[in-house]
Amino acid sequence: MTKRSMYFKMIASSLIRRRSRMFVALLAVAVGATILSGLVTIYYDIPRQMGQEFRSYGANFILVPASGEEALSETSAEAAVSLIPSDEVVGIAPYRYETVKINEQPFMAAGTELEEARKASPYWFVSGDWPETDGSVLIGQEVADTIRLLPGNTFTMTGTDGNGESFSREFRVSGVVQTGGTEEAFIFMSMADFVAAMGESGAYDVVECSISAPQTELEDIAASVTERVPDVAPRLVTRVTRSEGTVLTKLQALVFLVTAVVLLLTMICVATTMMAVVAERRKEIGLKKALGAPNRNIILEFMGEGLLLGCLGGVLGVILGFGFAQLIGVNVFSRSVHFQAALAPVTLIASVLITGLACMIPVRSATDVDPAIVLRGE
Amino acid sequence: MFWRLVNGALFRQKGKMLMIAFTIALGASLATAMLNVMLDVGDKVNRELKTYGANINVIPKEASLLDDLYGVDEGSGVSDRYLQESEMGRLKTIFWAFNIVDFAPYLDAKIRMPESEDAIRLVGTWFANRLELPTGESLDTGIRNMKSWWTVDGEWLSDGDTDAAMVGRLLADRAGLSVGDRLSVSLGDKERNLTVKGIFDAGSEEDERVYVPLPIAQEMAGRAGLVTGVEVSALTTPDNELSRRAAQNPNSLSVKDWETWYCTAYVSAICYQIEEVLTDSVAKPIRQVAESEGAILEKTQLLMLLITVLSLAGAALGISNLVTASVMERSREIGLLKALGANNAPISWLVLTEILITGVIGGVIGYFVGLGFAQIIGQTVFDAAINIKPMVIPLVAILVFLVTLAGSIPSIRLLLSLRPAEVLHGR
Repeated sequence: MTKRSMYFKMIASSLIRRRSRMFVALLAVAVGATILSGLVTIYYDIPRQMGQEFRSYGANFILVPASGEEALSETSAEAAVSLIPSDEVVGIAPYRYETVKINEQPFMAAGTELEEARKASPYWFVSGDWPETDGSVLIGQEVADTIRLLPGNTFTMTGTDGNGESFSREFRVSGVVQTGGTEEAFIFMSMADFVAAMGESGAYDVVECSISAPQTELEDIAASVTERVPDVAPRLVTRVTRSEGTVLTKLQALVFLVTAVVLLLTMICVATTMMAVVAERRKEIGLKKALGAPNRNIILEFMGEGLLLGCLGGVLGVILGFGFAQLIGVNVFSRSVHFQAALAPVTLIASVLITGLACMIPVRSATDVDPAIVLRGE
Repeated sequence: MFWRLVNGALFRQKGKMLMIAFTIALGASLATAMLNVMLDVGDKVNRELKTYGANINVIPKEASLLDDLYGVDEGSGVSDRYLQESEMGRLKTIFWAFNIVDFAPYLDAKIRMPESEDAIRLVGTWFANRLELPTGESLDTGIRNMKSWWTVDGEWLSDGDTDAAMVGRLLADRAGLSVGDRLSVSLGDKERNLTVKGIFDAGSEEDERVYVPLPIAQEMAGRAGLVTGVEVSALTTPDNELSRRAAQNPNSLSVKDWETWYCTAYVSAICYQIEEVLTDSVAKPIRQVAESEGAILEKTQLLMLLITVLSLAGAALGISNLVTASVMERSREIGLLKALGANNAPISWLVLTEILITGVIGGVIGYFVGLGFAQIIGQTVFDAAINIKPMVIPLVAILVFLVTLAGSIPSIRLLLSLRPAEVLHGR
């Protein structure tokens, strides 16, 4: 039997014969590795996941006509929108405003893509339904109170179209919007209805965008829009972007600290368990020494075991940790998390290091002692 | 004899027992820190979310939220209704007064600058006004805290300034104003010279406005003691089914539901209470802020809950693992006891008592260390102390107790099933 195969035989048999103890040790390592990979995955995914939640604050990026321009032409608006990375877009709603009259009282009508407006402003509270057919509109709470309209009612809207000719059209109220802000004084209709009443102008007053990106990235987008589409002025809604930055930084710092504390404590737990498992083998070490094994060989053997345990536990931990992060992602944010590929080797190395170190301490103290004393059971 | 054995085990195996106590202390401190942070995180994040500014807007009854309807602002009932400035202190006397973090009354007026036809919006407000409350306390409140996202060149106004103004970035650029310049504004036949003390970037339509201390605006508009509205920033509880029903019509609730609603910090309940103290007012939740706060709070709490559960499970496994490992290595001692004629029950009790005493010591130390960890997290992340919840103590105690039991019972059973001769022989 060669020296090497003897080495592997010793490691394998010590793992297999001492099944229950090794299982305890493996469990400890796996739990530690699971917590490591799970928490770190979540830590890295927090800005992305929470960033999506923060989009419930609505538009964080708006396009307005550059100074000197009257309105945003559709072509330049499209050119500007095309500069926004499409996978980060939550909703982009163009708006056109016009003053109209109902019962001779003035109101503001806004034409927009209702589907997009709904995505860009998820905080709108609509009693009734969002309009689905032509000729149905959303009205603000204030409008509803002033002219006493309820969802399902119809009303006549009059005004002058783009060519200066007056029009009179019948609309059905499909829902009433509550926001607590100025939206409550508007009448929202689909762009198609708006164009049918007011005429085609080929321009928007404002485009509201909700983009899932941090402030610095929005600033970059704004810079490239200004550069490539000169007649559009992009503006960040700093109330939303800056506050999001502040709160997200805090949240990430929180998860970071929690992760650090949990990791520290778990790693110490893993180490103490490993130490306990190895410490009870002092006799075995003494026997080996008495039979003439040099310290180096004994340390190498325990290192081999530790390495194997660390690897096994690490692999288990990577899989379980990702499963756990996925569980949190799905339960808390209803979205799956990204697998951090770089984390797998880190978890493996960390678990191997910790098991190795934890084995070393009791093995060292056992090898340093005279075998006779160890064997006598002192 | 029993206690002598216990004593002997605890002291003779000092190193081993210390290690178990240490691990239990670690686990207990982890549990304490995580539970305390988790229970307090809602409150802390809620305060952080105040950086989004006001979540309640109070306006006079019948007034319109939209005062810039193109060409229809005059005579449409917009500017003839007001709230009383003198009533502002009452906001801090409502049931949820403690939850009102900041508020700022404002008075809007349309002014003109020389050589310009466009009307400009002048806003008089409080910046950091010291307010003597009816309760005898005093409080600094105003937009300086509420508009945390403003970047200001120059400096913020103070409420005592008599001829100073802050100008929005867009307006300043258009009118060629910079910090220190004189600005002459007129309203009707009143004219006034103001010094530009600061230029702010708000990233919204506020960038086109001029802000001045409230008394200046009141004097120019001839509306002494009156304000157009109040922005209120309040800590609220996320909405649920009850609060949604109440928001529709509080009177539709049963007496019991109504009391629950009134005594919970729902945004609708706070609005209702504000309407009770300010004459002829309507308080509206700004849904953009109120709704999103709820969503983010819930997510954060759920996230922390799951992380806590994970780390508790990890700590529990770690502890019970170590306990199992250390009980199992005592097979020889237990074998000897059995060989000497001891029954299973006293042996189990002996081992359990030892472990539990170690557990109690470790748990107590761990609890206090955990409080330290919680405070470190609180101070570093939120710059505020984490509230220590007494309910964490029984939770940690139960956890430590169950975990040590769970860790020791299977290994004790295993050891008891061994035959003393085999164990002693050292197979």
